[in-house]
Amino acid sequence: MSAIIELEGVSRTYVVGDAVVHALDDVSLGIEERSFTAIMGPSGSGKSTLMSLIGCLDVPTSGTIRIDGEETGGMNEEELAFLRNRKIGFVFQHFSLLPKLNALDNAALPLLYAGVPVRERRERAEEMLCRVGLKDRLRHRPSELSGGQKQRVAIARALVNNPAILLADEPTGALDSSTGHEVMELFHALHEEGHTIVFVTHDRSLALECGRIIPIKDGRIGYDAS
Amino acid sequence: MMLRENIRMAFSSMTGNRLRTFLSLLGIMIGVASVVTILNLGKSASESISSSFNAGGLDTVSIMPRGSARETMIFTEEFAYTLMAEIEGIKEVLPVVSSYANIRNGQEIAESVSVQGVTSGFFASNSLSPSSGELFGAAENINRRQVVVLGSELAEELFPSGNAVGRYISIFRNQAKSFLVVGVLEERDASMGNSYNDSAFMPYNTYTQRFRRTDQVGTYVAKIYEDFDATSVAEEIESYLNEIAGSDYYRIFSPATIKEMADSVTSTFSSFLAAIAAISLVVGGIGIMNIMLVSVVERTGEIGIRKALGADPRAIRSQFLVESVTLSLSGGLIGLITGTLLSVAAVHVTGWSLHISMAAIIVSMLFSGAIGIFFGWYPAAKAARLAPMEALARE
Repeated sequence: MSAIIELEGVSRTYVVGDAVVHALDDVSLGIEERSFTAIMGPSGSGKSTLMSLIGCLDVPTSGTIRIDGEETGGMNEEELAFLRNRKIGFVFQHFSLLPKLNALDNAALPLLYAGVPVRERRERAEEMLCRVGLKDRLRHRPSELSGGQKQRVAIARALVNNPAILLADEPTGALDSSTGHEVMELFHALHEEGHTIVFVTHDRSLALECGRIIPIKDGRIGYDAS
Repeated sequence: MMLRENIRMAFSSMTGNRLRTFLSLLGIMIGVASVVTILNLGKSASESISSSFNAGGLDTVSIMPRGSARETMIFTEEFAYTLMAEIEGIKEVLPVVSSYANIRNGQEIAESVSVQGVTSGFFASNSLSPSSGELFGAAENINRRQVVVLGSELAEELFPSGNAVGRYISIFRNQAKSFLVVGVLEERDASMGNSYNDSAFMPYNTYTQRFRRTDQVGTYVAKIYEDFDATSVAEEIESYLNEIAGSDYYRIFSPATIKEMADSVTSTFSSFLAAIAAISLVVGGIGIMNIMLVSVVERTGEIGIRKALGADPRAIRSQFLVESVTLSLSGGLIGLITGTLLSVAAVHVTGWSLHISMAAIIVSMLFSGAIGIFFGWYPAAKAARLAPMEALARE
């Protein structure tokens, strides 16, 4: 198996006023295709920074990152947006659905930016919503859905453009434990189907469900319990 | 494809907070409504001025000699031919002589009536036609017949019970002379100093023989060819007359020149007002910019989500630009409708006929669109520039 995500000597520093904050300090790691990996650390550990670098929302200050073989370092905004659109499916803690759009339109959003014609967008989004068990909630707006259903819409949205990596940031953090458990079941099922999943969490018991745990603290990754 | 989606999103966010949308559009609505109203009224006013010029008047230039000085001795009947020879574009020159006289029919007396001696072509060139009886022709002129055509008001004054045609009236000048009424003119909109309605007309030669033994002509009515500009022919006549007589010894009356002046005053005035109203369009644009800036801040999270899902800066920018253009065009459209309704109401009050200015419609819609782009550009660029991570963090 080849590494779909590769980081070599990656650092990310922020300048806040006069202070320089080392959010990530010389991180190197590789994540295999079709793996289910947890990045685990307390808040302020740098795991969000790591997630945004893997998710192409940001570029490193130094070092190189390759996503599915493409180096993000020298990319401009347009190229990064293109890469996010094609390679990454995001699932956020607070679902991040657009309140004015119904489930179908929310799930179809990545296809809009991929330039897919409207009819095909609808078809693919509907297929994906059925896949996550929301067949009878297509026309509901987020405010009409439960937390678990919202997260399922978000997962459908993450999967709709068939990305190389599913990147989930505390996806069960805003859910009660039984709903959270259902969502985890869904992730496991997706993993078994062959999706590469990167899971960012502070919760050790959730991390233990994953195939591999990358602990992170103070901007450095610790021992790798793979 | 993206545009349709953007317009849909724009309407959904516009209708999300109706009161706020309405208030932010108020400026542009008032601006467009005032520009449209002013231009419509300007056009209606100028059309009503031109329609008040009599139909036959715009292609005529009247020359009236003044005083009895030696210089005016040149204004004889022959001068009509001189004028035609000297100035290009004159189709014919009709001499008119006139003076005031009292006219009587039995007990009815009309005092100080303008009695005019005209050739038969006078009626045609001023588009005058009879409401009863008929107009005199060349034969009556040559034979110096004592016939008269009365203006509508004069006929009513002298013949309150009607039936003027075929009756005789007395015209006093030094002594009473009896004239046969052969026709009564149709009533004419009394404008631009024309007083056909209360005048009496007799053949030119009859007049010169019976009333005033002189060669001098009272007025020359020069008829201008259709393919010549009456205003510039009037100017040529003026400079010719200045040369041979001097500006003190004649007056010139050119409806086309007056119309041109009136048009230019109306259009200058309405452009001036429209320019002032356009300032409120700019103020309206600032209103749009303000609401768009607020919107970008409020929707930072949404922008972050869209960026995370693959929207590039260009997609975000066009979303917000389409939104601001949709806003400003909606405001413009409402303003256009309001302005048109206001014009209808104003025209109803002034009694003009309504003329919608197409230019006002096109210009105001283009201007609204341009305002949307201009004042939406900065907020849209600001949205496009947001760093995805920071935008997401503010969700």
